Parts: sequence; structure tokens; C-alpha cells
Amino acid sequence: MMAPDTQNYGFLCPPSEQEEEPVYRTPSHYSPRLTYHLPAGAARHYQQQYGDMYFLRLAKLKPSVEQVAKDAWEGLVIAGENVRRVDRVLDVRQGELCWVAGTVYMELPMKPNILEDLTKENFTSAPPPRRTYTDPSNPEATQIMMEDESGRLRLTGNFLRSTQLATGAIVAALGTEDANGDFEVIDIKLPDLAPQPRRWEGKAPENGAETGNGNGKIAFVSGLGITGTSSDTLALELLTDYLLGYTGRSGKADSPPTSASKITRLIIAGNSLGASITADVTATSATKAQPKKYGYDASAYNASPITQLDSFLAEILPSIPVTLMPGEKDPANFSLPQQGIHRAMFPQSRAYSAPPPRGDDKPGAGWFDSVTNPWDGDVEGWRLWGCSGQNVDDILRYITIESSEGSPASSTRSDARIRVMEAMLRWRCGVPTAPDTIWSYPYQSDDPYILESCPHIFFAGNQPEFKTATIEGHVPLRLDGDTDMTDADGSDAPRVRILALPKFNETGQLVLVDTETLEVEVIRFEVFQQK
Amino acid sequence: MDSKLFLAENVLNEHRPVTYRSLSRALKVHANRAKQILFEFHRNENAKKPATVHATYVISGIQKTPEPAPANGNGSDEDKMMGSSPYLPSSMPDQDEASDAVVTTSIVLVREEDLEDAKATFQSISAIHVYSLEPSTLPDLNVLIDANRESARTHAQDDPLECGKQWGMIQNRNVKRRTGPRPPPAPVAKPPVAKPKSSAESTVPAKRPLQKEAAPVKAEASKPDEAKSQPSAPVPQASSKASGKAAPSKKGSLFSSFAKAKPKTKAPAAPEPAAQDVVLDDASEEEAEELFPESTEKAAAANRESRKEREERLKKMMDDDEADDEEMPDADEEPQRELTPVEAPPPIKPAELKEEVTVQGGRRRGKRQVMKKTTVKDEEGFLVTREEPTWETFSEDEPAPKKPAVNVPKSKPGKAQGQGQGNIMSFFGKK
Repeated sequence: MMAPDTQNYGFLCPPSEQEEEPVYRTPSHYSPRLTYHLPAGAARHYQQQYGDMYFLRLAKLKPSVEQVAKDAWEGLVIAGENVRRVDRVLDVRQGELCWVAGTVYMELPMKPNILEDLTKENFTSAPPPRRTYTDPSNPEATQIMMEDESGRLRLTGNFLRSTQLATGAIVAALGTEDANGDFEVIDIKLPDLAPQPRRWEGKAPENGAETGNGNGKIAFVSGLGITGTSSDTLALELLTDYLLGYTGRSGKADSPPTSASKITRLIIAGNSLGASITADVTATSATKAQPKKYGYDASAYNASPITQLDSFLAEILPSIPVTLMPGEKDPANFSLPQQGIHRAMFPQSRAYSAPPPRGDDKPGAGWFDSVTNPWDGDVEGWRLWGCSGQNVDDILRYITIESSEGSPASSTRSDARIRVMEAMLRWRCGVPTAPDTIWSYPYQSDDPYILESCPHIFFAGNQPEFKTATIEGHVPLRLDGDTDMTDADGSDAPRVRILALPKFNETGQLVLVDTETLEVEVIRFEVFQQK
Repeated sequence: MDSKLFLAENVLNEHRPVTYRSLSRALKVHANRAKQILFEFHRNENAKKPATVHATYVISGIQKTPEPAPANGNGSDEDKMMGSSPYLPSSMPDQDEASDAVVTTSIVLVREEDLEDAKATFQSISAIHVYSLEPSTLPDLNVLIDANRESARTHAQDDPLECGKQWGMIQNRNVKRRTGPRPPPAPVAKPPVAKPKSSAESTVPAKRPLQKEAAPVKAEASKPDEAKSQPSAPVPQASSKASGKAAPSKKGSLFSSFAKAKPKTKAPAAPEPAAQDVVLDDASEEEAEELFPESTEKAAAANRESRKEREERLKKMMDDDEADDEEMPDADEEPQRELTPVEAPPPIKPAELKEEVTVQGGRRRGKRQVMKKTTVKDEEGFLVTREEPTWETFSEDEPAPKKPAVNVPKSKPGKAQGQGQGNIMSFFGKK
């Protein structure tokens, strides 16, 4: 027990009559983009072929990657031979040193294959989850191919072993066709980071009064994993207390737990629910002698997790705006882009959301914003792009991660995640493996997964542990003298803060990103366990 | 002092944990002050008699890095620049440098007896405060959640936007909350926070707004008192009971708002629930039933009866049979009812089938008439197939008492008798 005369931290003392000043939260500047918003109802079609997406992706990214490749390889002479550019993969001639751009396609032994399913008359609703598509015992079974509208070319060579590729990435490869008709690769170029908008470009620039007063924080959390039982909620309770400013003395700005009043917005990146909401169908069907019931069936539906989530949101919403992205386990559509969890799920919190759109209006940004996954938008002037983690998880199934150089496997794995995220940025494609191995809406006139502009913060939810890194793009060379070097540090090169967000229900971690410096801070909530 | 009384009553007499937030809500004091009140109470009581009150604390600060238990997520969060490597580096730059770049703050809930151990794991501590008081050490800290939820439930009427300042919640000047289709007393937004942990009770939050409409009207006077004096009793139950007893007619009207067949006059009593988003109506309907389980014996009995009849009637409709005369108890209601437009003309009936049913022990047993096809050779040597009504006995599970019965009951029997099998639209349309 505490002796009262030791340090009392302001709370371990008799009540004082001192009046507490109300604390006000730093305002949030928020303008979500509707890149992944699908048309409602009848305007949503599923008859289109997925081929269009690959075609569009190649058409959009080929010029960029060819530009990069041209800068690097034009005039290059290797062993007395001039490197030549080839337009289509089918035009590659044997023995000729050349480079060509196209879409990567990987044939993996364990990859779900719709044709196989059809021949086996295996019409399951979802492919069983697989940890990896590769077959570590048989690395030869993995084939990497490059394709464009003309055809396919198998890539070989030792160089491929040192790189990571995934289906759907657009790359340029330098090499030569060998006697087998395979393309022996000696180098690969990527489109690299897309042009990055300046801060505040997306929306009204700062008006000094509001944004100038110190740094705010954007809070990220993912994988709340609410099950509705009492076992999961203590950390959540502490999180609620913290966000509402009950933890610590909010007045002291500089003490280590950043005052929660600095947090301008909470972004929840997927998997807010832990337990599956619908009970096992077979279990219920076994017992049913009654006539089939349509609509709400209390016996087959466990509302407790979503109710609990609703309560959590309703408790914090009076103080902090929330952006909620659905995840794999949330009650939203399964295929990407997942549309926001419907407001009807949130009888209490929906009072804070924007009014339902009328007719064809675009939905407005509410105080409580149930958004898509993936999602992009401008928060405090920064461009954010995030996904609930399916994109990273799926690419990792393409890649065999050898725990190399004796480093502990866990750190290799989480490094791999950061590396995959970096790769996606450099591929300029947020979800390259859609629609191949991630279910996706069949876009027809646009491939929204292309990152046309480089975000400032790129996050993926539901990762096993927290990781962050900053990456920088290539500084474009300015040959003409009059560059506008207005920035003090002259950083025209895109800089991206990458965040791999941990699952809250496993780590109890909340990630804060500073709105001025993009510095990262972690707050962990836990219950002390006596060893 | 009021707070001492409150704590003595709850912690010492009723052996219930009190957290600083529940205290803050109950006494309408600032959370920071509530923490101090808890501390003082803890100190004073234990000074009088040691170990009468047990406390849990929350420590926030920075934990030492070489931390034994949760090794992930702390130290190794390198914050490095990955340069402008033209392509995916196959090996990342060393990450051991700047391993302390990411500040990790911990907010840890600790039992009183572990406090010193826990403090030892911290490198620097920025705050410690009492989280809760309870009569004895808690084997499972999760009961604290229940305490919080309970207090949230008890004080569900407090609008967080108004009371937040009192509690010490961080205020936000820009909050946007719609008032549109919701009933004006905003506190409705809060109650589900109170959602109890047992999933049985925790059905659908939709019921709360509903019951809010219904209960306060009659039970308003009594309820707050109840809630105060015995805050342990979940308010929803209290109110539902109150409304059930005090206002049986109200209950009827509630249903009637859903089951339109009831006399119109009572319906206006509960317009708000219906005014809520349409999506909810389905759910609320079910809730409504569960909320008032057999509030009066008579009603229940009536329900049962009419349900049974309805079932049989339905069955007969299915069997293409004309309703027989043995059971039309509610025919007298007929005049009250207005004809719904969807009522269909009576179709032609093939034959009359009868049914005799008894119910015992949850099984329905009885005899019923069914049409059997019999084929006989007649005297001229032709095969003749004839349909004849024959009796057969049956026994089946009594269908579980289901909520729709409550809604449909009275109207149906009367009508169906008149017309036998109706248009399918009338089946869906008229309840």
C-alpha cells in the first residue's frame, strides 16, 4: 500500500477543492476521399471480367515504369551489346539483350485456382484460408511470369531470388532470352513512389489560429477484436478512459503519456469484432424442426460483439471523431473494397454519423465515419492510405520468408511486412494481388488500387506486431535551374511513414502519429500480471 | 460527506466494486476528484481497520525496455530511413540503431498487492491513481468492467455532451450529432452502454429506445428512485416491470403499434419507436415481446390459445381446407376490425377436414382428417381411385412459443374463418 507521504502524483491525496479546468480537444481537419466507394444497389455490377483491371493497371503504370527503366538503362552497354527496349513481351528475341515492361504473374503450387475448383466441382463459397501459396519443399514449382496484352514470358535467373514479386505488380525487366525460351533477368525496375501531394494540398490550407497551436496526434488502432464477453474488455476500458482524458492529468502536456486532448482523431483499421457474429449454421439446422424463419433470428445471431462495439464508439464519440474501417472479420462485404459497416449496426453511435445520403449524393463525412477498406483521405492535411491488412497478408503468402542470417524469426517476419508495404508503394499498387487472390469488385473503367499519388502515411492493420519505418523516394533530377526549392530542407522527394498496426486485442497497443513531424508513439494498455 | 456515505454503502455494505468513473458519474464530480476521494476513503478505512478495502491502481509511465513479459512491440521499433533504394532492398539496413526512437508508454492496471512489483518495472512513472475500490482482492479484474457498465446504465440519462465537462471528459467543440429522426431526449443514445454482460439480456440495443418510450411515461416517477436506492438492479428490468404492471393497457398499445390489427385508438401511445429508423422495427418487435414476458396470466393464456388456433388455422389453410367451425372464439372481435384492403374473396374448397387436438407436456396430440387415396377394383373390374377422408392420429412437438403470436393473434381467427384459404397476400398483409 502506498504511504501517503510519498510522491502522490496528484491523485494519491485527499480531495482538493481545486476547480478542474475543462480541457478541449485539438480540432480535426478531415476530408475523406471516396476512391473506394462503390455505387449502391443496382449500379453495382458483377458481370464484368477481371481482365479489365489488369489491362488498366498496365496501361496506367507502364509509362511510369518505362520512364524509370529508360533513365536507368538507356545507352547501357553490357559486354559490348547495346541494351534495347522491346515493346511487347512477345517481341523479345532469343539471345538479344533487351528490357521489357509488363505485369508480373506468379504461378504457385498452392494458389487457389478457380479452374481447378470447377473441375473438381468444388463450389465452396470461400477458398479455405492458406498460410502460404508456396511449397517450400518444392521451390521449383514456383514460376514467375511477365505478361502483357500480347502474351507471357517466363522469368528466370538468380536475380529473382533476391527480389520479391507478387502477382499484379508492374515491373520492367532487363535480360535476355535463353535457349529454353525463358527470360533470364539481370535487373528489375519498379515504377517507384508516385508523386506526392504537398501537405494541405487536398483541402483548405491551414489557418494559423487552429493548426498552429502545437502538434496534434492521429491515433490508429486495429484489431479491437471485441467478442462481447467480459474477457476482452479491460484493455478496451483503459483505452476508453485514456481517449476520454480520464487517465493522467490532462493539463500536463509534456509528461510521457501524451495528453489525450492532443489526439484529433481515432482511426480504427479493421477487425473491430472478434467473434464471428453468426452462429454455426450446421448446429442450428440440426435442431430445427420448426419452419424456416426469415430475417432476424436470435438463436443464430449473436449481437453482443457489435453491441459492445457500438457502446464503445458511443462512449468515445462525444469527445473524439472516429473513422472506422471494416476488416476481414467485420460485418461488411468480404471482397475488397469493403464498404463501410452499415449504420444500422450502430444504433447508438449512428447519431454522430452523417445523415444518410439522399439519392445519388455522395455520402458526407460524419463525425463518426464508417468508411471503406481500403480507404484513403486527408487528415490534418496529410494524405493517408490504409487497409485493414488483407493486402499485406496476401502478399506474404506469395513469398517464402527464410529466416535468414540467424535473426529471430519474429523480427524477420515483421520486417518482411514492412518490406512488403514498401514494395506496394514502389509498385504504386496498394492491393496488387487483387483480383487474383484477394476477392475484389470487378472494376471496369478504373483500377483504384493504383496509388496515383503517394500518401504521407501508409498503414496496414491487424499485423502481428507494431512496426514503423520511413521510406523516401527517388529525388527527381532537375536539369533546368529553376526548381522551386521552397521547402527549407528541399525535400521534394516523397517521404512516407509506414505503419504496421498491431492487433489491439493481442498487444493492447494504440499508435499515435504526430501531425507535424509524423513521429510515432505507442501507448500500451494492459493489466499487470503477477509472474 | 456524501461521497463517504456512497462508498461505505457500496463497498462495505454491498460488497460491490466502485471505480473512479462510476463514482464520478454517481456523484457528478470530476474524475480526478473521484480518484482522490477513492484514495482518501481507502486510506481512512484501512487506518481504522486494516484490509477492509482493497484498491486497484492505474500506473502510467514508461516501462523499462528489457521487459520480460510482452516482448513484442516495444524496443525494436526501429525508425529508420530506408533511403532511396531503387528497389526493394533484400536486406534492410541495420535496425539496432535508434531502437529507442519510438516512445512506448504503458498504462497498466494493477492490484494493490502488486503495486510495488509493478512500479519496479517502470523506468519513469508519470501518474498513479486509484482505479477502483472493492471489499477484497479481485481474482478476476474483469468485474470492474461490470461495475463501469452498471454505472453507465444507471446514469444512462446523462447526456455525455452535457455532463462530460462535469466528469472531466475532454471536450470537443466540433462534435456533430444528428438530432433528426431520433426522439429529442438525447440520453437515449447512452443506455446501451449499460448493456449487460450476459448475452441473454444483451439482445439488441434497439429495445432500449423502445422501452424508454414506454416505460418512463407511466413509471417515470417511481423509476429514478428505484434506480437510486438500489442501483444494483438493472434499470431496464425495473422499468419494464413497472410498465408491465402499472400499465397493461400500455403494453397492448405497444404491440398494437406493430400489429396493426388492434383497434386504432390505442396505437398513438407509442408512435416514437416506429418513428425510429425502419431497420430496427423488426428487432424491436421481438424485443417488445421478450420485455414483457407474461406480465399478466390472462394475457399469456390468451396468447397461447390464440396462437394455437392460429397455427391450426394456418395448417388448414395449407391443407387447402375450409376452416371448420369448432374454434372461432374471437369471432366477436370481428366487428371491431376494419377490413383490410388485401382481404381476398373466399376460394372454393374441396372438402372439409377436421382436427382434434390436445396439448400436453409440450406435445400436441390428436386426430385429424386427411384425404387418402384408395384404389379399389369395382364390380365391373375397373380400378377406381377415390379420395376419402380418413382419420389419423398424430403427435408432434408443440411449436415453441414464438413472438409473432403476440402480434397476430386476435385479428386472424375471426377473419380466416370467414374465408378459408385466403389470398397469400392477405396472409402477409394483414398482421
